[in-house]
Amino acid sequence: MATEVITRRPAEVRTGATAPRPRRKDRGRVLRLHIPLVLYLVFTLVPFYWMIVFALRPTGSTAPVPWPITFEHFDTVWNDIGYAVFFQNSVIVGVLSLFFTTVIALMGGYALSRFRFRGRTAFMVALLCTQFIPGAMMLIPLFTIFRGLGLINSLWSLVVADTVFNLPLSIILMSGFVSAVPFQVEEAAMVDGCTRMRAFFAVVLPQLRPGLIAVGSFAFIHTWNNFLFALMFISKQDNFTIPVGLSYTIGEYSADFGALAAGGVVAAIPVVCVFAVIQRYLVHGISAGAVKG
Amino acid sequence: MRTIKKVCTAAVAVLALSATATACGSDSGSGSGGSDKTTITFWDNNGGVRTPIYQELIKRFEKANPTIHVEYVGIPIASVQQKYDTAVAGGETPDVGGVTTSYLANLTGQQALEPADDWLAKSQANGKLLDSMLTSVKETTPDGKLYLVPATSNLDVVWYQKEKLSAAGVEAPKTWDDFFSSVDKLTKAPDQYGWTIRGGAGSIFQLLAEAYAYSGVTEFFDSSGKSTVNDPKNVELVTKIAALYKKNTPEADVTNDFPKMVAQFTSGKVAMMHHNLGSYNDHVKAFGADKIDAYPMPVGESGKRTIVANPVDGFAVFKNSKNKEAAWKFVDFLVSKESNSYWNQQTGQIPANKEAQADSWLDERPYLKNAVEVLGDPGTTVVSPPYYLPQFSAITKADTEPLFQKVLLGQMKPQEFLDTMATKLTEAQAEWKKSHS
Repeated sequence: MATEVITRRPAEVRTGATAPRPRRKDRGRVLRLHIPLVLYLVFTLVPFYWMIVFALRPTGSTAPVPWPITFEHFDTVWNDIGYAVFFQNSVIVGVLSLFFTTVIALMGGYALSRFRFRGRTAFMVALLCTQFIPGAMMLIPLFTIFRGLGLINSLWSLVVADTVFNLPLSIILMSGFVSAVPFQVEEAAMVDGCTRMRAFFAVVLPQLRPGLIAVGSFAFIHTWNNFLFALMFISKQDNFTIPVGLSYTIGEYSADFGALAAGGVVAAIPVVCVFAVIQRYLVHGISAGAVKG
Repeated sequence: MRTIKKVCTAAVAVLALSATATACGSDSGSGSGGSDKTTITFWDNNGGVRTPIYQELIKRFEKANPTIHVEYVGIPIASVQQKYDTAVAGGETPDVGGVTTSYLANLTGQQALEPADDWLAKSQANGKLLDSMLTSVKETTPDGKLYLVPATSNLDVVWYQKEKLSAAGVEAPKTWDDFFSSVDKLTKAPDQYGWTIRGGAGSIFQLLAEAYAYSGVTEFFDSSGKSTVNDPKNVELVTKIAALYKKNTPEADVTNDFPKMVAQFTSGKVAMMHHNLGSYNDHVKAFGADKIDAYPMPVGESGKRTIVANPVDGFAVFKNSKNKEAAWKFVDFLVSKESNSYWNQQTGQIPANKEAQADSWLDERPYLKNAVEVLGDPGTTVVSPPYYLPQFSAITKADTEPLFQKVLLGQMKPQEFLDTMATKLTEAQAEWKKSHS
């Protein structure tokens, strides 16, 4: 006589039933959560997939998969169109703008959060109002100013312009982050003998890491993608940045989709990497900065 | 303490980057450098695709003129007008710029360009540039002066896949009746369509080229200054084209701009496509030179060949240039027989230099030879669009492109669409006449 061994899953052991209810629950969860998320993911990722397909398949191929793989388009954008130089320029402008935006926003945000002074609210409103002015409207005044300063055709014009345009939102966000750090902690450090500056570096700054990352990444990505300023303030081939290079692939009568896609991949890599590294800070950072002010 | 160290490290890194950014800093641009060389800046109005062609020409020019250095800047075509406008407003224009008649009036309106008439009278190019292109340029500006030295032009043609036409027993249509019956024969939806409509950006220019070729109307405005766009024959053509939508064309055509339209054609799904000579290289890449050909716009009931002039592309010297002599020398070189022939051979367009038009490479490209013959044929009537109107671009783009989409979708009658466009053009023409009387 064969011995039948019945094994039960822990849940079944606990409830003593075959547990159809959790399965229904699972189905509900799949319908409500997983399917919409998968659909959204497909909707988001399909353009990226096509970009990669166009970038990696040979010219003239209409295959839905990038096979055989070719790197000719990357060679075209990197060597012929000049992405090697454009990429370097974008990195310089992006990093410098990130640095200046973060540092100035940190100082401005700290002042707005910790000090009460006349005109503080008006200043905050003015910062918000600057967000309504489109960059294109400021082109000619900025051009004239930079011309007077001898900054036309210099990467510094982009660093300055992008930093200035990044600052209002960054300062508002940063003041929210600073407010989230209790002032009592800073006071305790000062009671222990720290100067205000030392207390800031020792106690406040380490707690602002999510905020610094959120503000810095926004500044970097905004600067990295800025086409208008890069085209208008620069009239020297070797000083253009990636977005200008990307637009070179669309001519008056033709478009090199392979090169356009390869350029898109090159342009997207740093942004994707930045998001991959910072995403866990970013969600927390944005919510912390947004709800407290 | 560790935080302070991190901040210091970041500061040092930023300083290093700042030094690099400063090293990539501004320089004087044009002018005489420390050496004896004169530097002139040249802005290419279609940077990217044409960059290697200009780099080669600049190399040749600098070899022939060792005292002049040309600094090339490629401007993306989509933003060239905005770039010029900002540069003019900021007083930082190049010495020489690539300019087309589409925005020439805008630049001359800002008094940014140097007239070329005196230079041309003394130049080697005098008498060698195609008269129709010179006329087209002069008609664009209110004072009738030559502000743009023509280098090339284009012609609207219908590209077709030879194999698809011969499989359907169809020959390249010569008349519009032939055309519509060919489109029907070539359509085997949804696998193959006989035609594709440009319904998105840039649709109006192509539609007008088709309408005037069909109607045989020879002027954009009649003697009283009223636009001829809504001529009954033009309305008839637009109605016929709209009737092809979805029946003989892909449904996605309603949003087709030129890259999408060309991509559709090069995917092999569409047998015939209206574009201009400029997309030749795309078709060759996709099919091979022996698999494609082009025919000029068919002839309407009038029997007269009527073509709408494409924008003339050429070079202009800017008023702000500090090195006008070197700048004109460069322009002179660019429109010389050798340079003009090389440039147009590479881009597949029509040379402005008559001597270059006689070069043997044109014989190897029948579609281009045909185009040159069509342009040179005394029986061809060229309808010049009013590029000089400051509102022309807005009227034929932002104002009426969405209306044509409505026509394709059956939400607007072709008559109403063309009446709207005609009213706007008539008003703009009257305003222009008033300000220049």
